[in-house]
Amino acid sequence: MNLNRRIYIVLFLSLLLVTSTYGAAEPGGNGDATRDMQCGGACHGDASLNETSMATLTLSSSSTVYAGIPTTITLTATNLSSSSTGVVGFFLLTDTTGHSDTPQDAGWEVLSDSNGGAANYVEQTLSSGQSETSVSWVIRSSETGTTPFFAAIHHGGSSSPFFGVTPSGYSVEVSEVPENLPRLSPDFVPQSKRILDVPTELVLQTEFAESVQVQWKVEGGAVMSAQVNSSGENLWSATLPAALQPSSLQWRAILQGDGPEQTTPWFTLTAEEAGWEAEEFAVYLQAFALLFLIAGAVIALQSRLVPPPESSKYDQTDLLPHPIDAAPAVESVIDDLSDESDVAPLPAGGLPNGWNEDQWRWYGHDYLAGKYGGGQE
Amino acid sequence: MISPQTFHVVSTELVVGAFSVSGLSFLFCLLLHLDILKKTDWKPMFDNVAHFTLVFGLAATPFAVLSGLSSAPGEGLNSPILVNKMFLSMTGMGFAIGVFASRWRLGQNVWATSKTTVLHSIAGLAACGSMLLTASAGGTFLRNESLLDVLSLPYDAVLLFPTAISGISLALGLGLLVLGWLRMNAVSSVH
Repeated sequence: MNLNRRIYIVLFLSLLLVTSTYGAAEPGGNGDATRDMQCGGACHGDASLNETSMATLTLSSSSTVYAGIPTTITLTATNLSSSSTGVVGFFLLTDTTGHSDTPQDAGWEVLSDSNGGAANYVEQTLSSGQSETSVSWVIRSSETGTTPFFAAIHHGGSSSPFFGVTPSGYSVEVSEVPENLPRLSPDFVPQSKRILDVPTELVLQTEFAESVQVQWKVEGGAVMSAQVNSSGENLWSATLPAALQPSSLQWRAILQGDGPEQTTPWFTLTAEEAGWEAEEFAVYLQAFALLFLIAGAVIALQSRLVPPPESSKYDQTDLLPHPIDAAPAVESVIDDLSDESDVAPLPAGGLPNGWNEDQWRWYGHDYLAGKYGGGQE
Repeated sequence: MISPQTFHVVSTELVVGAFSVSGLSFLFCLLLHLDILKKTDWKPMFDNVAHFTLVFGLAATPFAVLSGLSSAPGEGLNSPILVNKMFLSMTGMGFAIGVFASRWRLGQNVWATSKTTVLHSIAGLAACGSMLLTASAGGTFLRNESLLDVLSLPYDAVLLFPTAISGISLALGLGLLVLGWLRMNAVSSVH
């Protein structure tokens, strides 16, 4: 490789390096999920490249939280900025180590988030100019004690990814639940998804509740009541109207009994189009059909196109002794030699000593030319 | 014990990396054997690299497919993108198996004529292309974006044949496989 070419290659590679843009974030977001802080350092490619977000994060919750009873914790984010996509991700955490720091790791359940899932990390897409938003989670702990909660934010910017976290923990103290407090059963897990065009029947399991009311609302709408029927001991059912398009509504239950009246947090219920389904057998059959059909076609076509093999230089089968029944054919060839014009004429005395007809046929001219000790006679 | 998601990432990186190098080498093989690129001494190098990486990628593909199925959220094939990923990866495997078997049984004869060269190289490139499309579909499924988004590929549309057509295609494929294999054995046993 000459020097000029090397210089060109070095210049070309340098140009590629210089013109490449450095992008560490995933501008499309990563989707709602249960994630450690900064996704364990993975969401933005390299956590050390993050700049500090200027957003102000504030957590709040109800003052009294009982073990086994859902409660809402709300994150209010102000002074927001984001990349051109407007995607912002919010974390609810119980410490800031970057591993095993989700509420689940601290013994809490995330029953619902404001996006209709049950994840500690949720994403929102801000509209242009929006600088404030809030996110809420419905969480539940089965243990008493105090837990510090942290909120964190991920978002993009003009050139760098940004990260921010609340400087100190927001303490949530969980108390022992009073004996006769009307409440949802500790085993109750709210439904978070439903399909379109089908009314939803909520089934509530309760304890110490003598009557139950269910209220629901859509975003920006009035609070409505649903009819509730008792379907067994500590079992209640309420029907929520069908959704005609993908949307979410929130519902809550008001429980009455001997103890003080209790109102549950707002649970989010998201309506989606029915999930896509395919018959698995048909899919697998077609997949294997594609595999074998294509492999077979390539092999069959290639074996057809490959030229037939030329005889090998090691192929000496013509030197093998001829079969006995082929002898007459050889003789007939010899008989015909004299008829062929390119065969040298035999000397007067016939074939030279030690020569046979076949040798004469091929080398007769050379003999007559004196190459083998003979000569013109 | 690593999770299926992590194992899927590892195996797909192996598959995509191997098939990318293979595809590039097949492109060079095509240019070299058609005398567009006049570097005769490069031929054996790219021939070896193309087929070695192809076999390596082929060996890693089943792990990628199986770990992908077990790491997908929800149950079963609940997204058209997943189904298209399955079809694309099996298509790529089909091309790769065809190329590998041809090179194995026919030896250098796959480069004997311009027709066989074009067929062999195009099939190798198609294997690479199918695997890259599979990876792109994976990116679209997981992150809703991919490098190949500029092509606006219809990952949400699935071309699912009736079972009978698939069954006939499978039988036809097996028939072609057997026929081609026997013919290749006949050719290769002469030497």
